[in-house]
Amino acid sequence: MAARSPRLSSISGKAGYDFSLVLMPPLVELSNVGRDFDGGRIVAVDDVSLAIGNDETVAIVGRSGSGKSTILNLICGLDRPTRGEVRFEGRAVNGRAAWAAVRASKIGIVFQNFSLLQSLSARENIEVALLGNLGGARQRRVRALELLAHFGLAERATLRPAELSGGERQRLAIARALANRPKLLVADEPTGSLDVQTSQSVMSIIGNVHREFGTAVIVVTHDEDVAALCGRRVEISDGRIRSDSGMAAMSTPAPASRIR
Amino acid sequence: MTELTLPLRGLIARPLRTLLTVLGIALAVAGFVALTGLTAGVQHSFASGIDENGADLVVSQRSAFNLVSSTVPTSLGPALSGVPNVEAVSGVLLNITTADDAANIVMAGWPSGSFLWKDIHLLAGRIPASGDQWSVILGESIASALDKRVGDTVELQFQPYTVVGIASFSSILNQNSAIVPLEGLQQLLSREDVFTLFEVRLKRPLDKNDIAVARTRLVTAAPGFEVGDTEQFASSIRVFDLLQAIARTISLVVMVMACVAIANTLLMAVNERTFEIGVLAALGWSPRRILRLILIEGVIMSAAGGVIGIILGALTMEMAAKTKFAAGLIVPYLSGWSIAQALIFVFIAGPLGALYPAWRATRLLPADALRRI
Repeated sequence: MAARSPRLSSISGKAGYDFSLVLMPPLVELSNVGRDFDGGRIVAVDDVSLAIGNDETVAIVGRSGSGKSTILNLICGLDRPTRGEVRFEGRAVNGRAAWAAVRASKIGIVFQNFSLLQSLSARENIEVALLGNLGGARQRRVRALELLAHFGLAERATLRPAELSGGERQRLAIARALANRPKLLVADEPTGSLDVQTSQSVMSIIGNVHREFGTAVIVVTHDEDVAALCGRRVEISDGRIRSDSGMAAMSTPAPASRIR
Repeated sequence: MTELTLPLRGLIARPLRTLLTVLGIALAVAGFVALTGLTAGVQHSFASGIDENGADLVVSQRSAFNLVSSTVPTSLGPALSGVPNVEAVSGVLLNITTADDAANIVMAGWPSGSFLWKDIHLLAGRIPASGDQWSVILGESIASALDKRVGDTVELQFQPYTVVGIASFSSILNQNSAIVPLEGLQQLLSREDVFTLFEVRLKRPLDKNDIAVARTRLVTAAPGFEVGDTEQFASSIRVFDLLQAIARTISLVVMVMACVAIANTLLMAVNERTFEIGVLAALGWSPRRILRLILIEGVIMSAAGGVIGIILGALTMEMAAKTKFAAGLIVPYLSGWSIAQALIFVFIAGPLGALYPAWRATRLLPADALRRI
């Protein structure tokens, strides 16, 4: 499947130059990416090309073992493609350190199992994401407390993850993912461990994040209800893209407001 | 939250393992401090013991292997006495033996009429009379340890001696010494024509320059012999070099073991915390920052082990020095250099032991690490 073409945007140059029409690269772009395991005996992802823009909300759907989580890992640089190239904001990113720098400042990740550090309090779980990105301990503490308050966890700041409910943990995980004000929020089965009511609440929060912060969102899910809340739907099967609603919406991006 | 929070929590989360590793490092450091300290202590105690007798310079055999093996002919005495600015010269014969087969003791044979007898501070009794060759003055500590009083008998070098005096000294070596007339000791050791060393007292007033000039003249008067102050004499004894070498070798082996213990602990920690490392990588922690996290854990453990080890080492030295056969011969000597060496070790061993586990942690692919819950 071919990658989406870069969208044309109009911007003004900082030094007074007027760029009337400038090619704006996608936020993240996979070009003919493949990922093999076990010396090539298992092909988890094969020849995937995908471009995701700055203002999109994308659901990557597929059955268990279809390769959707592997694609998500490749998008975030958590995994290394066997073939092809991953570009972030138009630049090829290679190597652990380069990807770490991109994740630290531009990508927030929410995992199905929350992936909170059990030895740290709720506040510290956010602060740990800020270490190295935000100046002093005091600044980190203030930012963490702001985020906790924003997600209704102000009273839970000193509690360890084990002392929080499932919904609270997922809210904390989202707060942590947003700590560095990323351009892209990716969520791997964000509702997979939650009941229906909490799932709706979490998806509502993710939708708000997109609206309030202008953060692009990629959600990996096997839940069609969750997928339906996103502006674009990419279906994966056997490690390949079977359908991509974004292909039709290239010229008219899907409204983000579909996430509620 | 600071850079130290996570490493500290990681160590606290596994208290027993952390404690055992810290203890391993502490024992290595304690071993180093105690071994080198005791070796230096022996050397220091001999120097201070001779110094206390009032000698300004010592003439001894060049590079003697041990303290008692130094041999200086008695015939050298007149030549040394003739050196300008020399007030008095006294030959001394030293021997290490057991007293009543109960404690190690240094026997010092002094010639009758030597200036050395004049400065002795007797607590009880008298100095040996001329020709009274089987009489002894015991240092206060050894007399107390052996429960000897004036008039009692003590067996030294298989020879019964009569205690004629108990003396007080400031150096621990002398406090545990037996001072006997030279002639009897020479006879016992079959060393009639030799001394262990000559103690030389210079005329007063005295400054550093006078000592240097006298030393040069003594070297000329006693060619082929070692002339120096008491510290130089002690440091010229080869056996101390050997003891130092043994102490350092044992310390090195123990310290390498401590390094391995740190590496082992942190490897296990890295394996157990693979998921946590994966989360940190997913949050954007760079490989360098993850490396630093593990290194800091190693440094914290080794620093704690270092401090505990220095305290343990000092206590071990005190205990060793108080054992029956070491009392008086071994004086604990915890030098600043010894502490500095121990600290240098821990700040090398910590990061060194942590380096491989830390490197392993940075090689993990975040996706692989996150799969291991």
